[in-house]
Amino acid sequence: MTWSVRVTRPRAKPARGRSNTDGELLARVCAKDLQAFEALYRIYQPRLARFLANILQRPQLVEEVLDDTMMVVWQTADRFKGASKPSTWIFAIAYRKALKARSRWPDPVPEEDRDSHASADPQPDEQLRHQHLRDALREAMSGLSPEHRAVVDLTYFHGLGYREIADIVDCPVDTVKTRMFHARRRLKRAIPGSFADWL
Amino acid sequence: MPEPTAHNEAEELLPWYATGRLDSDQRVLVEQHLSACADCREQLTVERRLIEEFRSLTPEVDAGWDRLRTRIEPQPMPRTSAPGSRSNLWSMVRSPAVAMLAAAQIGFLVLGSALLLSLSRPTYHALGAASAPANADALIIFRADASQNDVRRALRAANASIVGGPTAADAYLLRLPRQQRQKALAGLRADHQVEMAEPIDGTP
Repeated sequence: MTWSVRVTRPRAKPARGRSNTDGELLARVCAKDLQAFEALYRIYQPRLARFLANILQRPQLVEEVLDDTMMVVWQTADRFKGASKPSTWIFAIAYRKALKARSRWPDPVPEEDRDSHASADPQPDEQLRHQHLRDALREAMSGLSPEHRAVVDLTYFHGLGYREIADIVDCPVDTVKTRMFHARRRLKRAIPGSFADWL
Repeated sequence: MPEPTAHNEAEELLPWYATGRLDSDQRVLVEQHLSACADCREQLTVERRLIEEFRSLTPEVDAGWDRLRTRIEPQPMPRTSAPGSRSNLWSMVRSPAVAMLAAAQIGFLVLGSALLLSLSRPTYHALGAASAPANADALIIFRADASQNDVRRALRAANASIVGGPTAADAYLLRLPRQQRQKALAGLRADHQVEMAEPIDGTP
């Protein structure tokens, strides 16, 4: 596996008009328009898969919780009153579902050395260093609580502001800031070598 | 040295400053502080690097790969311990509660099989035959209070003949007209004196 492969990256700022489009789709979903629901699913599936994989850390649960989330969207689209963005509403459902799914199963056994499955081919120093860094970050993320992981992922990857994150995880904005602050400390501590090496 | 409160506030906001998600007044606050705090400038560099790294991490791809790998490699992966997954089926079965349930299920299956066998096997064993007569194609159980006339009427209506039974469960083996088998079965099932009428070869 090469770590240079990148998947769908979010925009730092959501494109203008996306919310309207999502809102229109949701309105059609209220009328049980399956085509609109499929369009909505195709927009959200990659983002939710990423979000849920980060929180759950159990591959088998990601699909299940994602499907459950989208089923709630299908069944309760009429409850979306436009008080928030459609994405906030959908991510909030996913977040609640993910925490509920986690409460059903015990915590996973600490992660094994993933490198045991990596290619044995010699790699250039820089590439190896980069891989170590990502492994360290991934491990550090595993050590965080799902609540902290959600905030980190929504901030760094999904590019959301702390107010929107507070709406999604249903907590005060100060809690979001505090969670992020502590998560950053943990992540930085986990980084191998000194900052100078890393930067 | 900036005052601690301003420093803490700016430091907390750095991730969203780095992703461009702050309001203008908060952005100004952070920028003013950055101009005076070398520590936060370094932190900002770290933030930007973290963002870059995070965006290239692919937990959903990792999750998908782990799932696929469990299908290729026989050994279960300890870190993906969601019950219900194929990789952990055995560990589930080994848990006492599940093992008890599984044992009950197996017991039920054994009992069910025995019942089916007892239903389909005639109580008499003509010429040592251990299975249903080759020409039997359905099994029927009449209601306990069905009269001889009821039985005769139902069989005549379906153009069916008894070729075996009664079994231990008071079932009879029937031979049905080949061309009208479905219709005959449907007629028997609709008869209020018939409790059960099922093909014995598993066809609907």
